[in-house]
Amino acid sequence: MIDRAAEGARVPVGRVVATEVKPATPQHFHFWTAVDTTIGIGAIVRVEDGRGERVVYGVVTDGFAYSDLASPLYDVVGAEGDPARAAESPTTRQEVRLWTAAVLRQEPAEPLQPVPLGAVYVATDADVAQALRMDAYVTGDRPTGIPVGLYSAGGLEAPVYLDADFLLGPEAAHLNISGVSGLATKTSAVEFLLASIFEHYPEHKGSIAAVCFNVKGPDLCYLDQPGALDEEDLRRYARLDVPAEPFPRVRYFAPFKADGVNLNTLRTHPDLVGDVQPLVWGLPEVLQFAEVLLNRDDIDAKADAFIDFLQDRVVERSFTDEWGNHHRVTTFADLERLFRSVFDGLEQSGRADMWRTHHIATIRKVRNRLLNISTRCKGLVTDDGASSDLPWGEFEDRSVYVVDVANVDPLGQDLVFARVVSRLREHLERGELGVRAVVVFADELNKYAPADGPDTYVRKMLLDISERGRYLGLVLFGAEQFRSQVHRRVIGNAGTTLYGRMDMDELATPGYQVLSPATKIKLATMPVGELMVRHPHFTQPVFVRFPRPSVLRGRDGAERFPPAADVPFDDAVVRQLSRLDRGVQPSRVKDLVAGREADDVRRALAHVRHTRPADVFAAFRRALGERVNTEPTVERRTVAPLNPISEEPY
Amino acid sequence: MAPRGSPVSERRNDRLSWLDAVLAAGATAASFVPDTSPDSADVGDPAGVEFVEDATLETHAIDESAWRPRATSFLDGFQSWRVVAYDRIVPVLRAWVAAGVRRRDAGRRLRTVHEIGHELAITFTDRLSPAVRSALEASGVPIVSIADEGWGPPGAALAAARRALETARVGVEREAGKMWPKTATEDEWLVVDGVLSDHAALAAHARAIGVVKNPGARYFDGSDLETALTLPAEHRTSVFQPPARGAAAVHSWYLRLWPWEGNDLLHGLVRVEAPARRETAERADAISAWLLAERAPLTLPDARWHRLLYPLHDVETYLRTRAPAFLRAEPAGRLPARPA
Repeated sequence: MIDRAAEGARVPVGRVVATEVKPATPQHFHFWTAVDTTIGIGAIVRVEDGRGERVVYGVVTDGFAYSDLASPLYDVVGAEGDPARAAESPTTRQEVRLWTAAVLRQEPAEPLQPVPLGAVYVATDADVAQALRMDAYVTGDRPTGIPVGLYSAGGLEAPVYLDADFLLGPEAAHLNISGVSGLATKTSAVEFLLASIFEHYPEHKGSIAAVCFNVKGPDLCYLDQPGALDEEDLRRYARLDVPAEPFPRVRYFAPFKADGVNLNTLRTHPDLVGDVQPLVWGLPEVLQFAEVLLNRDDIDAKADAFIDFLQDRVVERSFTDEWGNHHRVTTFADLERLFRSVFDGLEQSGRADMWRTHHIATIRKVRNRLLNISTRCKGLVTDDGASSDLPWGEFEDRSVYVVDVANVDPLGQDLVFARVVSRLREHLERGELGVRAVVVFADELNKYAPADGPDTYVRKMLLDISERGRYLGLVLFGAEQFRSQVHRRVIGNAGTTLYGRMDMDELATPGYQVLSPATKIKLATMPVGELMVRHPHFTQPVFVRFPRPSVLRGRDGAERFPPAADVPFDDAVVRQLSRLDRGVQPSRVKDLVAGREADDVRRALAHVRHTRPADVFAAFRRALGERVNTEPTVERRTVAPLNPISEEPY
Repeated sequence: MAPRGSPVSERRNDRLSWLDAVLAAGATAASFVPDTSPDSADVGDPAGVEFVEDATLETHAIDESAWRPRATSFLDGFQSWRVVAYDRIVPVLRAWVAAGVRRRDAGRRLRTVHEIGHELAITFTDRLSPAVRSALEASGVPIVSIADEGWGPPGAALAAARRALETARVGVEREAGKMWPKTATEDEWLVVDGVLSDHAALAAHARAIGVVKNPGARYFDGSDLETALTLPAEHRTSVFQPPARGAAAVHSWYLRLWPWEGNDLLHGLVRVEAPARRETAERADAISAWLLAERAPLTLPDARWHRLLYPLHDVETYLRTRAPAFLRAEPAGRLPARPA
């Protein structure tokens, strides 16, 4: 944990100065250092008053350098206008390195007084712990520290810990991370932090799992594969006491492509695709979240009422319409049959405008939207057949569940996000998920919870998680490129905030006014692997470095495990069945599906996947049913035209 | 920072009691700060000047790039004072004199190698009342007693006190000058602010020079005087030997650092002193070239910028910042006490 060996004979690196123009206050102070100093923006320092009565910890927020030159013109005159000559002057002007620091902590805390004009030291491990008030939760009988990175300055290095009670609830919760895209910071930071959480989440707080939505490329597709780490990374892992290993328990979920048999993910390399489980939902699953799929204009009271009617009275119930047709609607295909029956019945009976108090226009609108879903999200939403879902109620401690929706239609992404998170919430509320807490990682938060734009179901749900999730153990780890474009209640409820390299335009927005200009510049030029951290225990932002994640990066994974090309329909069926039973003979499966309707095959496949029988092939054959031989088509004789078209133009 | 072979460390609060003792003995508290650290007075007479180079005073153009020493140190002094009490009308002054040598390192930065500072009490001891004199002498503070010839109205008395103060400052400069040869490297040069001939230890040293930035001494008449005062920029005069003034004989020449046209005859004019050695005249061009190079960086906005070399300015600044706090306080009159 905290290394106290570094506290030996210490040499001051600076001295606090105060003038009438720049006085020391209880919140800020200024100090100078040698020109050649290791102090920089973000460095944590310790000030001693020299009498042993007061110690102040501060973090450097700004820096100034100036010489005794009263006017730039004097330098020009001295060099006779030649910059080269200026460099040749025999003596270098007196310079000063003056730093501004914000107070992190004072001891004693009362009475709160201006910072004494004392000697300034680089902070040691113990100082960093003290300054950031980590002593309250890193030590003791029930420590709750989660390493987030290494603070380093002045040749010293110290681990920085987040408080699990404030990162994962119940005191505060949620984490937000911002940073420009393409610098491997946001995803890498979350991957490292998840590994750290899994290693350090305290026993007394129970079990925890993570659900990660992969919304772009192969980012999260190789969390179970080891990544390339250098010596420095391994040293950092050791210093932070986090194993430099990939996640041991990862489960992948991805919908099918439109063909219903090839998985819609980049993790389709033959060596890896075996543990990707299809994510397929049917009508009952979708109808619960119909609001997600209908645009704002659609959600009027009438449509809402009709959807409620379908849910309450029709779906998965035996239902007989006014024309004597019996229905049991469990699939989209069943629903379409019901709609067709209603429309035909109304037309035949002459009652063209109302059915069960619902206007036919409303019915038609809902029908169009719902059936459109199975078209737009084909592969995720099945017209017919059983669903395949996350293991609700059987979540395992320290496991990662990756839901890959990178290649899914945005509408489908919304549906997946809304349903998975809602189900997580429902299960956590009942204490039936299998774990006590779940971290939900969602990138592109500015898309799901935008500051502006329509008040979508997904945004409302994210707001709900942000404001109430911490009591349930439902923790949102959100990432985005532009923090200013995310709803402020989502941002504001994130107890912990991480900043990677930021865009200058973004830093110019009002949300960053509390940061000093130097801190903003540092944020705009921050190297990969460094973060600025804000946490409830830290009175000022702190800069930390973290090792590269110990998992294979998405891009590297895609190179090492290139996604397999889509296989023909029959091969894809073989692959699906082989996942359930390696003894299945491909030639028999291909013979069986040859010439059969694709929908029939998909339905049989879904049935087998759902029931998981002992004899997979036999069950598949039974589900597929007997082949029905169709009558050979007879060629129709055609009659030659009486007046063949002549080439004669007139 | 450890004091560098100096009694600077003795100067702090332990001296506060002498003033208390003087006031307790019946002196009246006062607070008045005369001018501080004036340029050294340059005095001289044409009689006895000998030409070392050329038969008359000639001008020599200098190529600035000709030569620069590898290592250089700079010596300067500092004085500050304050009238702190009157025994009837006899002023009692609290003064600080200091001198320092700062060496230029490979990074072209100056670092202090020698530093001396003394606090003094300056007064007309013989004119003090017995009680105040006893209190002052018993306090242990070093006392500079001004001879009775200087006594007169306040202006004359302070002028005499000032001369005593300058003498004390020159004294600590000499002490610092004695230290330098002990620590100087083989090829290290020393630039002294002011006349070299005041320093017995340095005036004969082959690598010490003095730069008199207020060359008021009148060593020439007629056309030679005109030659010296209208010297073009980046030119020097012939080397001459001024009449013996201090501890040792020196050779000297005038050097124009900046053009005087459009300003004043003395603008940018310094007088250089070097040991009275055979090779001095041969080195005059090289030394002058080096001093021309020392024009940058400028010491603006100091009014003496055209004659004040930056490293000497730096030593002076250093000594000023090291002066005791009571001398750094802003000069201000005391408000009259409200009657009880």
